[in-house]
Amino acid sequence: MRRLRHPVSAALMLLGVLIPLVPLVLWSFAGRWRYPGLVPQQGTLRGVRLLADPTSQVLAGLGTSVSIGAAVTLLSLAVGVPAGRALGLYEFRGRNLVRLLLVAPALVPGLAVLLGTQVFFLRYGLADTLAGVVLVQLVPTIPYVTLVMAGAYANFEVDYERQAALLGARPWQVQLHVTLPALRPALTVAAYFAFLISWSEYALTLLIGGGTVKTLPLLLYAYAGGPDPTEAAAVALVVMLPPLLLMALVVRGLSGRGGTLGLVRS
Amino acid sequence: MTLRPARAVLVTGLLALTACGGATGRRAAAASGDWPSVLKAARGQTVNWYMYGGDDALNSFISHTLASKLKPYGVSVNQVKITDTVNAIDKVVAEKQAGRTHGGSVDLIWVNGENFATGKQAGLWHCGYHLPNAKYVDTTNPAVTSDFGVPVDGCESVWQQAHSALVYDSSKLAASDVSSATALFAWATAHPGRFTYPAPPDFTGSMAVRTFFYDTAGGPSAFASQAVTAAYGEASTRLWQRLLTVEPSLWRKGQTYPNSQADVEKLYGQGEIDAYLTYGPGAVAQQVSKGVFPPSTREAVFRSGNIANDSFVAIPANAAHQAAALVVANELLDPATQLALFKANGAYPAIDLARLTSAQRQQFQAVDLGPSVLPLSELTARVQPELAAAYVTRIEADWKTHVLRR
Amino acid sequence: MTGRRPRWVTIAALLTPAVTVVGVLFVGGLGLGVAQSFGYQPFLPDWDWSLDGYRALWRDPAVTASVGLTLRVAVVSTAVATVLGVAAGLRLHSLVRGRRTITAVFASTLAVPHIVGALAMVLLLSQSGLLSRFAHAAGLASTPADFPALTADGFGWGIIAEYVWKETPFVALVVLAALSGGIDELHGVARTLGAGPWQRLRHVVLPLIAPAVAAASVLVFAFSFGSYEVPALLGRPYPAGLPVVALQYQRDVDLNARPEAMAVAILIAVVVAAVVAGYLALIRRLSGRPL
Repeated sequence: MRRLRHPVSAALMLLGVLIPLVPLVLWSFAGRWRYPGLVPQQGTLRGVRLLADPTSQVLAGLGTSVSIGAAVTLLSLAVGVPAGRALGLYEFRGRNLVRLLLVAPALVPGLAVLLGTQVFFLRYGLADTLAGVVLVQLVPTIPYVTLVMAGAYANFEVDYERQAALLGARPWQVQLHVTLPALRPALTVAAYFAFLISWSEYALTLLIGGGTVKTLPLLLYAYAGGPDPTEAAAVALVVMLPPLLLMALVVRGLSGRGGTLGLVRS
Repeated sequence: MTLRPARAVLVTGLLALTACGGATGRRAAAASGDWPSVLKAARGQTVNWYMYGGDDALNSFISHTLASKLKPYGVSVNQVKITDTVNAIDKVVAEKQAGRTHGGSVDLIWVNGENFATGKQAGLWHCGYHLPNAKYVDTTNPAVTSDFGVPVDGCESVWQQAHSALVYDSSKLAASDVSSATALFAWATAHPGRFTYPAPPDFTGSMAVRTFFYDTAGGPSAFASQAVTAAYGEASTRLWQRLLTVEPSLWRKGQTYPNSQADVEKLYGQGEIDAYLTYGPGAVAQQVSKGVFPPSTREAVFRSGNIANDSFVAIPANAAHQAAALVVANELLDPATQLALFKANGAYPAIDLARLTSAQRQQFQAVDLGPSVLPLSELTARVQPELAAAYVTRIEADWKTHVLRR
Repeated sequence: MTGRRPRWVTIAALLTPAVTVVGVLFVGGLGLGVAQSFGYQPFLPDWDWSLDGYRALWRDPAVTASVGLTLRVAVVSTAVATVLGVAAGLRLHSLVRGRRTITAVFASTLAVPHIVGALAMVLLLSQSGLLSRFAHAAGLASTPADFPALTADGFGWGIIAEYVWKETPFVALVVLAALSGGIDELHGVARTLGAGPWQRLRHVVLPLIAPAVAAASVLVFAFSFGSYEVPALLGRPYPAGLPVVALQYQRDVDLNARPEAMAVAILIAVVVAAVVAGYLALIRRLSGRPL
């Protein structure tokens, strides 16, 4: 049984993860931080104040990102949970082909796949709209939801459903009171993945949203290209904190599961 | 007699309604030049205004000052920040190519120069409208009636004047170092890696190269015509030699140039370079007060002069909210708005101050932006006009061939 | 797997929504991309099939340089993230005290969007960034220019740093998951049989985690190769990342650039598909190896 030898290595690992975030956090409160100062020469709250200012469009961007994220999560669950059930519970001819088709979008870069569709989105009025952006964001999210749920269904004891049906429960009651509660951990993880992917998405939103649909990553990109690192860092905090908080909640809710996140099932 | 035009509008509107909704009916009203009907159509509309978003003072002006001025008209502005105007042009062209002739996503663009020319050539602009506040504009001024040599023809409305200047850190450069391009290059050679300019076709990068061109050629007078002359070849050869000679002393040894003006300003703010050229000298004041730029920041104009131009707002023909866009364009010409804009980021008014009352004129003259910004008198003392669009495109292409060599 | 008799209607009903969305957008999107790369121009009256897009791609120095940069960055990032991730995963697995907390902190980068990571790396690694200022404090650099150019550089160091930072914990988590079943018993058996720590590593641990790690590194490569915002923020305009070039050409008003843009997009898809196919072939060989 190995003891915590070499605490140095564990400390180095943690440092490696946390160090890049240090200048980010410092800059968001830096009023004046000229080279070569190691710490800001002056602090400020203008980065934080900027977030509430309508000029910065950050609050609007937050609303947009949350709405799109919620829509993408719900839709990809609605589509991916049944697909995961089919792949996890049933054996059928062509299962590998279907699995390949549904997983492929997680591998092939989304921009490459969807670049050719932009002109169609434009012509049929879906470009520069929230609906268009939600639609394209389904492409990277459905594979993850499907994979996670397929793994969960593969471990699901489907006899429970049969028993509940024998006891007189209707199909929708079976799903609501037996199946979905049993799959709650996987559903939580799948929903988190879908939301995280949608929240972080930049290229597809830029391609189809055309710069009109302003999500937080688009705003951050604009600020990151500007001369003021304080503003950019403040916006970065807004982009970074919600998924981190959600992750903490998810991990807490799944406590005892060892944090595998069901990723490896294939 | 009065019924016929009204019926024509009604028929057009009805026909259009069956085709694609009520927006076209409003468009017809706007085109007919009837300002009250424009105001009526504009009520409740939001204008998608595509503009360069890197100027915080300007952004603040639009979302606060301009927004409150537009409220009585029931018009609001959605500022779509872009890094390069050509992106907005590309968008309108793409919509046109995809067959979107109305309900376009771009209502108003802050534009001038080659971008306006591109749009005019592609037939993108809504033209021939008349704004009530145009009475404040000096229509005899060639800077207003022609944009980089291309006739405006009522396809865009003037908005502000831009005077270029060199921004520098006075603790690193002396006044003598910034008096001319030669002095600046000599300083750069003595302090390598502390000066750069963005790669054309970035708008400001193009201006930087043209500023050095004026300094090399002695001014733009030999290049007034639209067509590229033989004198250009000789002057440009000397220019490329100068730029290549100073290149190893530029930032990153000239192996790469910043992609945009925003990147250059970031380098200056971070202390990686000590000087840069800009079209927006007034905006520097806000960066200094925020602490992003050092308090020793100052501005200068070369002895050979600085380039100035008028910038405009143009409305695409397929804009979804054309009436509201017209209201915004009109409001921008209002003297009170021009004064507020000048105070906000030092944008020199585009309206003719001679057409204002003396009280209004005095308000303009009383504006003081602080020590980091050159006073107007110095900014306008040695103003040089822009080259024709054909020369601009040519210089940008030649810079790529001779200096960037890729 | 329960050996149920497949009920085609049920299965079809369950799969239809997902297959439709993916079929239309993914397969359809690729198809449209391929068609447009061969000259198809929707909504325009006169167009013709041609190889011009691919010819332009072949001759374009910007694309050649971009392929070099993108491939180099993806390969280096994947290799480094895999090695470090395996080491980190093994270390985490061997922790006794505080494993859950340390793992949670270590895994927090997974929740950080790449665009935030890119900005963080700019603020850390640029010539006026925090690392450069430490170098100045240590007397190693007196001006920003003395510090090596890690951002907006020709090699892509900053881009690699961001990918490694984000993806190492991902690989580590995958390793942890793969080790979560029964490794300790195998360790015990191997030790009893006289195997030393290195032998245990080579013959017990690594083969056990190899399939999962290979899958993870394929994902890392695919992502690194196809990412837009990281090379856009941390790289230079020339050479740019391949997805940056693709989008730039697609937005060009000159419609002659469109086929080339699509050809670049198809190139990206083909490279990733080839790597995935290689991985699948490798997996088939690995699973044939006796434990």
